[in-house]
Amino acid sequence: MVRILALVTCSFFMSVLLSGCVPESKTVIDDQGARISSFDWNIPDSIPFPKVPANNPMTEEKFQLGRHLFYDKRLSSNGDISCSSCHEQDKAFSDGITRATGATGDVHPRNSQTLVNAAWYQTLTWGNPLLVTIEQQIMLPLLGTDPIEHGINEANFEQILQSIQADPVYNELFAAAFPQQEDPLLGEQAWNNSIKSLASFVRGLVSFNSPFDRGELNASAKRGERLFNGEVLECFHCHAGYNFSDATTDRETQFSQLDFHNTGLYNIDGSGAYPEPNTGQHEVTGKSEHMGRFRAQSLRNIELSAPYNHDGSVATLRDVILNYANGGRVIASGENSGDGRMSPVKDGFIVSFNITNSEVDDLVEFLKSLTDTSFVTNPRFSNPWLPPSSQQTFTESQEP
Amino acid sequence: MKHYFSLFTLFIPLLAQAHYIPAKDTPITLNASLAATWRSDNVVEENEYWQVPGSNMGGDAWPAEEGIQVDEMTLGLGIRIDENTYGIVEVGTHASGRSDHSSVSLEHAYIGYTCCEEFGPLVIEVGKMSAAFSPSLSSHAAERLTSETSLAADVFFGRYFHDEGARLMWHSDSLTAGAEIWKGNAFPATASAGYAWDAFARYQWRGNNFSLSSGAWLYRSSAETRADHRYGGGHQHTPVAVPGETIAVFPDTRFTGDTDVYGIHADVAYTSDDQYWKSGLKAEFMGMQMDGTLHDAIGRAADLDSDQTGAWAQPYITVKNHTFGIRAEWLTSDNVITGAPANQLGADSGMANPTGFEPSRYTAIWLWQWKETIALRTEIIDDQSLLEDNLRFGVGIIWKQTLWPFNGNSHH
Repeated sequence: MVRILALVTCSFFMSVLLSGCVPESKTVIDDQGARISSFDWNIPDSIPFPKVPANNPMTEEKFQLGRHLFYDKRLSSNGDISCSSCHEQDKAFSDGITRATGATGDVHPRNSQTLVNAAWYQTLTWGNPLLVTIEQQIMLPLLGTDPIEHGINEANFEQILQSIQADPVYNELFAAAFPQQEDPLLGEQAWNNSIKSLASFVRGLVSFNSPFDRGELNASAKRGERLFNGEVLECFHCHAGYNFSDATTDRETQFSQLDFHNTGLYNIDGSGAYPEPNTGQHEVTGKSEHMGRFRAQSLRNIELSAPYNHDGSVATLRDVILNYANGGRVIASGENSGDGRMSPVKDGFIVSFNITNSEVDDLVEFLKSLTDTSFVTNPRFSNPWLPPSSQQTFTESQEP
Repeated sequence: MKHYFSLFTLFIPLLAQAHYIPAKDTPITLNASLAATWRSDNVVEENEYWQVPGSNMGGDAWPAEEGIQVDEMTLGLGIRIDENTYGIVEVGTHASGRSDHSSVSLEHAYIGYTCCEEFGPLVIEVGKMSAAFSPSLSSHAAERLTSETSLAADVFFGRYFHDEGARLMWHSDSLTAGAEIWKGNAFPATASAGYAWDAFARYQWRGNNFSLSSGAWLYRSSAETRADHRYGGGHQHTPVAVPGETIAVFPDTRFTGDTDVYGIHADVAYTSDDQYWKSGLKAEFMGMQMDGTLHDAIGRAADLDSDQTGAWAQPYITVKNHTFGIRAEWLTSDNVITGAPANQLGADSGMANPTGFEPSRYTAIWLWQWKETIALRTEIIDDQSLLEDNLRFGVGIIWKQTLWPFNGNSHH
């Protein structure tokens, strides 16, 4: 009896182990179309596609129309301001000055950002957590009044539109971009189409071809990369991931935590106050704990976008690093004087650290390795109103 | 007394791995065990992570390392408090991939109570203890034929199972049935997701020459943002490599969802009339189902539906003081990952197994019971748990002894 029982037990196990009871190994991956797009993003396989609003799918035609609008000074009250006035390709679509001046002379309180991989940002400005699409953001420079940038308003709206409608180039571009519309240049529809097209162009400004991306770091940059990713400097926490910003989102991201950071740049009142109106996230929420919190900028092409920080108050990358090394910035005199190191609302990662001059050089060299020269010279992103031979060397005097 | 003697006798095969009840005539017992092994090679290189393809590992499933390693050390105290009550305390260490993980830990601290002879009897145990549902899961390196835990235990349970909980067992002459409820600290559960539980049944029989033990069990648990705490799970430190080498940061992917594991096991043996030799087969089959979500810190999430199996079989023969055996192990995985980040999270979590690779491992063992309390073990391991084969050798020593009451005998 026992022998039979033992035999049955052994047979059962052997049959389980050797028979079809054990399924064959396989893995089914269903990314639900995450790598499918009719638009040619021209990005490496390792980079997820960005999110695109359902009501404004990317097309090459809208990208090209947006490119023309981006460089068109007619989209301003004085005919002298285009998007490219503050976002110049050779500067990674920043402007190289501390703060830009709008069509009516208003000086913008904040430094002009780069437009590098804007499609991958969770939020679109320095400190506003509510602006989550490029379409929303574009309305501000075009139509905003505080400050006035392009200066488009109810009074000049029709006049600007008429100048666009009268241009045969635009007639062709609008028709191609919005073929389902009978008259895409008609009234308010034309503005909606313009916003969508400008957003498509900005969304298509893609930069993932730096020496870093190609694995071509020199020895100094490699040392800087180790510093960057080290637990002493802690850079990589806020400047995280493939876009070097923790404010990154993409098609693979289902939920996002909006992160803004106070880097100890100011501490006017001893409670961490920043100079008005540049109080970052606090400017929108009014919450004291949000004082001085700004989005971590992507570091891609950061070499080209000096001066730095939200108000352009730091001249060089070296100065930025030294501010972090000090655990904040000390302003000894003036209306903004204060010890940022002692800010009670400073981010926990902004702690002082020791760094030698050569290490600063290495870190700067690493940051320079994020410069994508093909991005800032790509004819596809350049001013289409210029003759093809001069499209890579943009100058304002040649704008329409 | 007769009842309890029979009860304790009954427990011996059931709880031979690490559980026992102090007898009334020896109310205090102190047992020690140690297993140390020298191995010829690492499973993975120093800067790599051990991740069996198609599985989401965790717990204490550290890879075997080259050189000398203390596989396990235990020191267990058992106290018979009164006729019905006893207490068990055991401390131990386990082999670890990191020096800061090798510290002594409290593995058992529980109170047991026996009663109700007319029903069976019943045994109730409460405290921190090992699970009883799978004999192999609670076995120590000093008690197994092999120095390394089974792949199935490594992958499905993170090698060991120590948790706080309660156990109720019922016994008859040849049947044992029980249920356990756990706080959820032991992999694959997390305490934040609520209690885990299991139920098991076992049949045991011993004749003149043959002995048989077989059983079945079911374990159910839930997890919430479960991490692989071997390498991740908290603040991510940037690994430091020697100059000229690089170390990838461990992808700290989490799992939230349900895990059900079931298993059957058997242990059959034949002992010659003169007890000069003994031969047998031990085997276990486990199946695991995971249903939940893989996700990470930057907001990526993908649905996971996973069916995995693990099995091992170990024929052996003992001739006088020498035991020769072979353990063969297999794993399979059938995973479906759905969602935009499915590719990335599948790769980061280890669940992606695009080539349909089926991990296996074969261990040939010679164990020589050199002295009553000391044995020497030699192993040849053909490890195919990763895509790259690893052939290593192991030579180890095992010490098992009852320190109190002192009579020079090994415990159990």
